[in-house]
Amino acid sequence: MDTEKFNYKINKKAKKVAKAIWVFNWFNSCGFIEILPVVGSRWDMERFGLIPVASPRQADCLIIAGYQTIKSIKRAKLIYEQMASPKTVIALGSCSKTGGMYWDSYNTIKKLEDYLPVDLYIPGCPPRPEAIFDGIHKLVQKISLSD
Amino acid sequence: MKNLILKVQSEFKAEVLKKEKKQIWLKIGKENLLSVCIFMKNNNFIFFSSLSAVDILKKNIIELIYHIWSEEKKMGLNIKTEISRKNLEISSISKIYNSSQIHEREIHELFGVNFLRNPNLSNLFLENWTGPPPFLKDFNWRNYVREKFYNKENKNEKGYFNEIPNNK
Repeated sequence: MDTEKFNYKINKKAKKVAKAIWVFNWFNSCGFIEILPVVGSRWDMERFGLIPVASPRQADCLIIAGYQTIKSIKRAKLIYEQMASPKTVIALGSCSKTGGMYWDSYNTIKKLEDYLPVDLYIPGCPPRPEAIFDGIHKLVQKISLSD
Repeated sequence: MKNLILKVQSEFKAEVLKKEKKQIWLKIGKENLLSVCIFMKNNNFIFFSSLSAVDILKKNIIELIYHIWSEEKKMGLNIKTEISRKNLEISSISKIYNSSQIHEREIHELFGVNFLRNPNLSNLFLENWTGPPPFLKDFNWRNYVREKFYNKENKNEKGYFNEIPNNK
């Protein structure tokens, strides 16, 4: 799709939300390395209003990349509880959905939805930046429709 | 260096397994571990680099290997000891080499080896762990995962209970 058109569509819907989606990245598995270009200049997530913030208290959206261990899911829960509502959770990668290649690991959780209320799964190993933007588009749609 | 090895051989009944330019492998009984460590620390082997463990089911032992480095001699010393799998106990060397404390803590967590007189052996990675030590060879992790995470009656998770054929 033409990026200008895409931008326009995104902007139109984001206007209803009246603010940009600020994201807190909880990336502690391989997803982080693969999703880094989204933050960089080539795919530039800031043109869609996504800004990574330093503290979960300022964030609207929590992005969890990849699998979580039993130890780190406790910290993820703490972060989720610190966020101000309305808040959303996006899970990246197939690991957060079914366990992925760690389906028989004794120390990782299998489905993220058993632990946190996930709004959106973006499957892939890892998901492409385009898939992430498509997911964000759907999330914005969901927010604007619920309003 | 030759004198050192001769002394260790005669005093502590150490066996030299292998010799290389910069590495030596020794094998000692577990009762001599503390005295060998003290002796080596007095002879410039100051730097404790790591502790590794191997579970050998056939011989019913767990082999512990202490890796120690000497910066002056540019030599590495690897001390092997064996402990029986029925009695997983060995004295801690954390009073001699301070940095070995966290290595012993990790081995205790993953292999269940009890290091006597180590000040802190609480869990490092596995929080609220209830199963057996996960790195032991006879720990059936696949069954453990099936019991802990999956439900056989769930239609979507039924496939996880299929037996996986061995490709040997």
